[in-house]
Amino acid sequence: MDERYSRQMLFAPIGEAGQRKLKDSAVCIVGMGALGTVLANHMVRAGVGLVRLVDRDYVEKSNLQRQMLYDEEDVRNGYPKAIAAEKKLSIINSDVRLEPVVADVTVHNIESLLEGIDLVLDGTDNFQTRFLLNDACFRKGLPFTYGGAVSSRGMSAILVPGVTPCLRCFIQSADAGGQTCDTIGVIAPVVDIVASYQAVEALKFLVDAGGKRRDSLLTFDLWENRYYEMKLGEPLRDCPCCQLKQYPALDYAEQEEMVSLCGRGTVQIAGKGQLDLEQWRERLEPAAEKVILNAYLLRAQLPEGERLVLFPDGRVLVQGTDDLVRAKILYARYIGN
Amino acid sequence: MELVINGFRQELDVRTIQDVIAHFGLEGKPVVVEADGAVLTKEQWATAEVRTQMQIELVHFVGGG
Repeated sequence: MDERYSRQMLFAPIGEAGQRKLKDSAVCIVGMGALGTVLANHMVRAGVGLVRLVDRDYVEKSNLQRQMLYDEEDVRNGYPKAIAAEKKLSIINSDVRLEPVVADVTVHNIESLLEGIDLVLDGTDNFQTRFLLNDACFRKGLPFTYGGAVSSRGMSAILVPGVTPCLRCFIQSADAGGQTCDTIGVIAPVVDIVASYQAVEALKFLVDAGGKRRDSLLTFDLWENRYYEMKLGEPLRDCPCCQLKQYPALDYAEQEEMVSLCGRGTVQIAGKGQLDLEQWRERLEPAAEKVILNAYLLRAQLPEGERLVLFPDGRVLVQGTDDLVRAKILYARYIGN
Repeated sequence: MELVINGFRQELDVRTIQDVIAHFGLEGKPVVVEADGAVLTKEQWATAEVRTQMQIELVHFVGGG
């Protein structure tokens, strides 16, 4: 077999047989930001047969500090991340079939995005999309490799239908409390480490080394030198996804009302709970250009040009765009969900 | 009482795990609680009493990527 993989095949647990399995495998990476680019780099260099790259965003200068497949030319060209990633990955390993998809992952397209896929890698930046992936993976019987990174903290776990709990067994709320990479920052090493933990679990699964699966949720803070492993344990008895099999994120009606165009240049995102505007002022002030709080609302001028208007009842208006996807991107960046 | 929370000793005036969650402002957040090695479901938080030197891990799910 190809000399390219010689060192990987010398690693006995993979060997030639494992390499063939990788070649016959297909993975989908959702979110081609910091985690996604590291994940794609590993999957493509390892020789996974098909890698589907899904992202809704385009490359910006603030990405270059940690999103390892992109460069200044991608920023100048304003390329979508999925396309810029494909361009770079195709010259890293031309044997791999790359399928870039520039799209927002929703209940409408999730089914087709997972068609023909053996495993899903989480490169997303929000819990709403993670719940959608979790529910779709568990309905379809596909392993979902969760990863998250913010500040100097990271976390990862491989969740396998019928074997481990699912993401909903651990968390029910999609409220990240405003802690996103765009509000409190992130350092690149934590991203590389989280994605590498995800990638190695993917390789184990794809070469059928199930016995070596990490059966824990790994969490760490690189700056504080803290590592913690929590056993995945048993599924939650009444988990709406993996036990009751209701898959809430795949419910069309519930998803529809979340985001709507409301007037010219304004998109409304219905929140899931109340917003404490005073707290949000403190969170947004370091990241926004200007924040104004009055008795009824909080308005934040974003460096991107758009404005966010937050209401105590949980609604958020994104002003300065008619594009629902753009509004969701900004919401995920600054509010988190 | 003195508790060990995420590896650090802390003196907190709390009675239950729910109080610990409230102390750190984590209500409604994506958090898993492990106390002395056992995972506690949300339903157990209000009745699960803490005792001195209990090792509590508040595993706050990370959303960024």
